[in-house]
Amino acid sequence: MSDSRFTLTRGGLPVRELRKSFALTKLSDLIAWGRKYSVWPFNFGLSCCYVEFATALTSKFDMARFGSEVLRGSPREADLLVVAGTVFIKVAPIILRLYQQMMEPKWVISMGSCANSGGMFDIYSVVQGVDRFLPVDVYVPGCPPRPDAFLQGLTMLQESIGKERRPLSWVVGPQGVEKPAAISNRDRLAAERRRATVLRSPDEI
Amino acid sequence: MKSDQRVQEVRDEVTSRFPGVNPETAADSVPTFRVSPPDILGVLRYLKEQAYPGYPMLYDLTAIDERYRGSPRDFTVVYHLFSFELAQLIRLKVPLEGEFPHIPSAVPVWPAANWYEREVYDLFGIVFDGHPNLRRIIMPMTWKGHPLRKDHPARATELADYELPEARLEEELDSYTFNPEEWGMERESEDSDFMFLNMGPNHPGTHGLFRIVLQLDGEEILDAVPEIGYHHRGIEKMAERQTWHSFIPYASRTDYLGGVVNDLAYVLAVEKLAGIDVPDRAAVMRVMLAEMFRISSHLVWYGTFAQDLGALSPIFLMFGDREAVLDIIQAITGARMHPGWLRLGGTAMDLPNGWEPMVRDFLKDFRKHLVQYDKMVMRNRILKARTRGIGAYDAHTAIEWGVTGPGLRAAGYSWDFRKNMPYSGYENFEFDVPVGQNGDCYDRGLVRIEELVQSARIIEQCLNNMPAGPYKSDHPLATPPRKERTMKDIETLINHFVGVTWGPVMPAGEAMVPMEATKGSNAYYVVSDGGNSSYRTRIRAPSFPHLQLLPIMSRGTFISDMIAIIGSIDFVMGDVDR
Amino acid sequence: MPGPNNFPVDVWTIPVYFGIAFLLTAAIIVISSVLGEKGKRRNEQRPYESGINATGSARLRFNAQFYVVAMIFLVFDVETVFVVTWAVGGKRLGWAGYFEIALFIILLLATLLYVARIGALDWRRRKVETGRQK
Repeated sequence: MSDSRFTLTRGGLPVRELRKSFALTKLSDLIAWGRKYSVWPFNFGLSCCYVEFATALTSKFDMARFGSEVLRGSPREADLLVVAGTVFIKVAPIILRLYQQMMEPKWVISMGSCANSGGMFDIYSVVQGVDRFLPVDVYVPGCPPRPDAFLQGLTMLQESIGKERRPLSWVVGPQGVEKPAAISNRDRLAAERRRATVLRSPDEI
Repeated sequence: MKSDQRVQEVRDEVTSRFPGVNPETAADSVPTFRVSPPDILGVLRYLKEQAYPGYPMLYDLTAIDERYRGSPRDFTVVYHLFSFELAQLIRLKVPLEGEFPHIPSAVPVWPAANWYEREVYDLFGIVFDGHPNLRRIIMPMTWKGHPLRKDHPARATELADYELPEARLEEELDSYTFNPEEWGMERESEDSDFMFLNMGPNHPGTHGLFRIVLQLDGEEILDAVPEIGYHHRGIEKMAERQTWHSFIPYASRTDYLGGVVNDLAYVLAVEKLAGIDVPDRAAVMRVMLAEMFRISSHLVWYGTFAQDLGALSPIFLMFGDREAVLDIIQAITGARMHPGWLRLGGTAMDLPNGWEPMVRDFLKDFRKHLVQYDKMVMRNRILKARTRGIGAYDAHTAIEWGVTGPGLRAAGYSWDFRKNMPYSGYENFEFDVPVGQNGDCYDRGLVRIEELVQSARIIEQCLNNMPAGPYKSDHPLATPPRKERTMKDIETLINHFVGVTWGPVMPAGEAMVPMEATKGSNAYYVVSDGGNSSYRTRIRAPSFPHLQLLPIMSRGTFISDMIAIIGSIDFVMGDVDR
Repeated sequence: MPGPNNFPVDVWTIPVYFGIAFLLTAAIIVISSVLGEKGKRRNEQRPYESGINATGSARLRFNAQFYVVAMIFLVFDVETVFVVTWAVGGKRLGWAGYFEIALFIILLLATLLYVARIGALDWRRRKVETGRQK
């Protein structure tokens, strides 16, 4: 469907793509496939978005279908940090430390307007977006995003994880993580959305 | 009227006893007195202990920065006391002069004043003499400045960009390390050392960004020090920058499980200030939505309470029920959690066609489900063993510490603002107020579960008796004004345009209407200078005093009991820190 | 298969079993220490306490009740060893063996009841002065 463009970077500078053996590539694919269907979130919540995140775990939305129903209490065991809610100045250092305590490989989903950019809280005690101090893989907009919107973000993350190339060993082999380019759903779905002509009136349920 | 006569009597008594006290009038007809700083403790004590019937509860303690108002004083500390017998608030305002003024602490009179005074010190810089441990409570310890002062910048974009390099990270994290000596705690007894365990901001059992430091002797909790402020969104400061109308979404996000209930608290106060009467249909719609949010919030409580105590299945069923409620809420208001659907003067729009069958279907199954949950959760022997007799307090302690809502009713005191001080038409509804006996975790649970049944009853009455009529008042300050005539009449169009952009201009004055939110009693104290935004909005949140009581409830229990106690208090951090 | 002195000849299976277990464990540990990526070293090493620095160390003088419970557990654990040992040869020991082990168990059960009655298994709930004034 989408082309997989890789930019292998070391220290931010593009490096010529190394030729790897067929077997090693297939092994990487297999590992990436395994990783993407067992992304275990960290039991971490900030505010209102966390309630929608927790709702995504319950029966109607069922995050277990995506392999992510295992919420880990300790950052060592978790793969995914879902920053669900407003990032307060008082809690930002704690978030960063918990992120550092997570084991590689780890990903971050920024859920909700407040985590994306501070949201409607342009106020002294709120950090204007968690990407001020954390690298974010997927941004899920909404205030709060519906649990289905969050699940869409999770599937986008899974697609991206499936295309990643990570080092098999920190001792040998190429180092550095190759991530696919970020996708904007807004651009991808813009044409389809513009075709909508019938909008439901708020007077009907 | 009896209450007017009683108000006059109170006024006369206080002014005769304390000659330095001056009465004022407020828009919400709450007796208001201006008291000078040396007299304040005497007046507080008199009102609490000697006046008959007295004002046993410290409802709220806050301050106003008056320096930008053209007023002769610099700061005012405002005390709200509540009397159950009179069903009345009383307001005491203490004017202060100086850059960082001093005032005697009210902790000797009400221990509940502890956290309130720490908050006023943190946000305003007013020093309370005689406070046992005056330190910041909401802002981080490394913060410079007092945010709610008028000269402190409001926006994050007015301050330097936030960055977290390694050095700053270490410095901030060091400032969080708990120091027992600062709290006067011993580190050891003669037989064993105490462990200071941090149930930190990231913990599945604390339901939000809440930190408790436990002083443990083995498994037993000797003492607990709660720390809040991790969820401070500066909503009160935000109110000074938003118009009366555009503040409504911020109010929704205070108690983020409460939705419309928070909006209602705010909107009632502003409507009282402006003198807007809401039409009947709007009042009943508000009641119906408020009760739906009460059900939604209590279902979240129910599921997480059971989950904390080890029952991992019931939460899925309760959230399934909650989805049914949220579907109805979404159909009516357009959003699940933060509808922002109330307006000054009514609601944003009318109910959609087809709402009755949705509500009827929901109510039909809901009661059966509650019976099933009762068997699964409340009759479970393990749950009973873990919650009976744990975290108990009596009604007197509850009132001393400002506990309201199910926490107060579980201790045996029957008080529900919907029944005793009705608003928005609640006097026309038939419902019971569940009251517990022992004030322990189990009884708090039972009270909330019975409230679910009563809320369903109220919704059924709304369903059967929804009056016809407009959904918004015709009062000139109702915002935004109804749009039907804007296309035909230039005056209405101008009014609509100005109302939506510049915002309504509320008359000068102050108002506070206590109401029964999902967690307890919520009230917005709005102070207007006759402008298009409020001069000061104070949110009296129910969960703030509940958390203060936590150390007293948990001394001598185990960590597992602490989890049960936290689950049974049912607080929301957005409510505590605002 | 028993040899001349009733000694099992295929005793070589035991060291082989231990050897395989050792090799497997070593392989797992060595391979996993080499695989994967390494994150930032510093904060990773600190123990997790909800993101906050711990107050005091974990090497404390713990409450003596932990010791009491552990000791009582140990006694009953050793009892289990004896009961299992009897169970291995239970059939051949006959009724005499059965009554002996029953007596053993009853004596220890009585001890357990006594211990429970005097409250040695209850966590001590005594009023300790916390010294907190604030």
